[in-house]
Amino acid sequence: MELKRVLVGIQALTFHSTKKLLFGKKAIITVLVAIFVAAVMGYAGSVTNDPLNDGTNLMDTLILFFFMPVMAMVFGSSLIRDEIDDKSITHVATAPLDRAFSYLGYYLPLGIATAISMFAISTVGWLAFFGQHGMGSDELGLYLEFVALVVIGSFVYSSLFLAISVLFNKPILIGLFYAFIWEGYIGSLPGAIQNASVKHYLRSLGSAWVNFGDISRWDQASSAWSSALVLLGVTIFFLVLGAYLFREKELA
Amino acid sequence: MTSQENGPMPIVQAQALSKWYGQVIGLNGFALRVMPGITGIVGPNGSGKSTFFKLVLGLIKPNVGSITVLGKVPWKNADLHSSIGFCPDYESLPADSTGREYLTLIGKLHMMHGTDLSKRIQETVRLVEMDKAIDRKTGGYSKGMKQRMKIAGALLHDPKLLILDEPLSGTDPLVRKDIIDLIKRLNMDHGHDIIVSSHVLFEIERMTHSVALVYRGRAVASGDISEIRNLMDRHPHNIIIEGEGITALAKILLGQDYVVSVAFNDSKDSVTVQVSKPDVFFNGLPALIDQARCSVSKMYSLDDNLEAVFRYLVGR
Repeated sequence: MELKRVLVGIQALTFHSTKKLLFGKKAIITVLVAIFVAAVMGYAGSVTNDPLNDGTNLMDTLILFFFMPVMAMVFGSSLIRDEIDDKSITHVATAPLDRAFSYLGYYLPLGIATAISMFAISTVGWLAFFGQHGMGSDELGLYLEFVALVVIGSFVYSSLFLAISVLFNKPILIGLFYAFIWEGYIGSLPGAIQNASVKHYLRSLGSAWVNFGDISRWDQASSAWSSALVLLGVTIFFLVLGAYLFREKELA
Repeated sequence: MTSQENGPMPIVQAQALSKWYGQVIGLNGFALRVMPGITGIVGPNGSGKSTFFKLVLGLIKPNVGSITVLGKVPWKNADLHSSIGFCPDYESLPADSTGREYLTLIGKLHMMHGTDLSKRIQETVRLVEMDKAIDRKTGGYSKGMKQRMKIAGALLHDPKLLILDEPLSGTDPLVRKDIIDLIKRLNMDHGHDIIVSSHVLFEIERMTHSVALVYRGRAVASGDISEIRNLMDRHPHNIIIEGEGITALAKILLGQDYVVSVAFNDSKDSVTVQVSKPDVFFNGLPALIDQARCSVSKMYSLDDNLEAVFRYLVGR
């Protein structure tokens, strides 16, 4: 009975929040990013002489490296915080569902919505670039590998940004700092310091899977298994931390 | 509102309850026993009514003191929410959802589903007279419709205790009357215990005789509304009278047993009268004006706001 109540509650919240994220005002950001990626990759595709390597490098730097953390930040930093600020969280906070499970009911739709959004952006970029050069098994394999990376990245970054949104009153500022300064700058520094970014482990996974572009020859990559374990560990850590903070949080 | 030792159990019991936000005090040594039925919580804005409700709902935890709701401690007690329905005083409806979508979410969060949920939604919206607007986006609802839909959300899971925070706020007189009637029906016909807040005493008086007055974070008085009225009557009420020939009226007023004092203001055409029984004063005043053969151009009470009444009650 208790488990059923929890599952029904999480399912209801997941459905409600996924719909809100995908069809709410933030959907326009996904559309704009998709248009931007299509324009950049479409132009690059029209002037390249080495489609597989150049296309891979663009999928890597533009989508995985840059827009992946940015989109997760856009969705994740505000989901719970907006509801706390506009007090629409009341119906969740006064439901007979332990707050730790309610938190899961926010994390799942966030991961799903970010993954769907990144899937759409990746697909548009891939089509815009490789659509001009014919799409064989290599191109299709490349597409599936990057889709897998952005789906994994969506759930890892979602746990991180959702925890930030519970931990800080101005999560968007912390989120911007993390996405642009930490992931964008620290994550691209040479040496061991870049191991302190999610991006390092995502790219390490990509390095093991992808056979084209700079990512396939990346000499600073960690092993695929250790990267997968670190990403899983980071996700669980921030999920548990966020759920604990949300449970203890006073909703004044 | 004092109960017998062997009488019904209080639905809410707060003892020495204090809650502060940084340097701002929300509640300070708040003590109250709320018995079954309809109970009105009356206090000016910022007096601590909403803080009290948040403590009842377990949304915040007390710094000092204790509170039990239906015999349980509310903080971190999600199960208790099965027995409580809450209608907040702020906008909490998701503007991009229809009334039906909102109620479906609430229902599922309370483990209702399928045809049982659909039936209950229909029953509830009919009860609050929102059945015709249920498929409209809540962002387009009027203030009165939003209040009704929030009450529907609070009622949906058929809770034992309903907490309605300023349900009449911002509504027009017609909607006000409808909501007051609805609240009375919910108690009498459906058996819900209700705690309802307002900053207007006479609105609460139309719903219940059981009232607690909250002021500056304390429950300064509680009990039957007539007891509170008597309590208020024991404190002098200041009334200013202006006009011609007021000196004669002042002399007559000084002879009345319910007049505590009469003092002239800046001119001889204006006096401040302190009375212990305002009702008797107002009823008898026309005859006294005739007797004094004066003409009153203006009369107003300095104490016609609740804040002044509360100041009396806490002796400030």
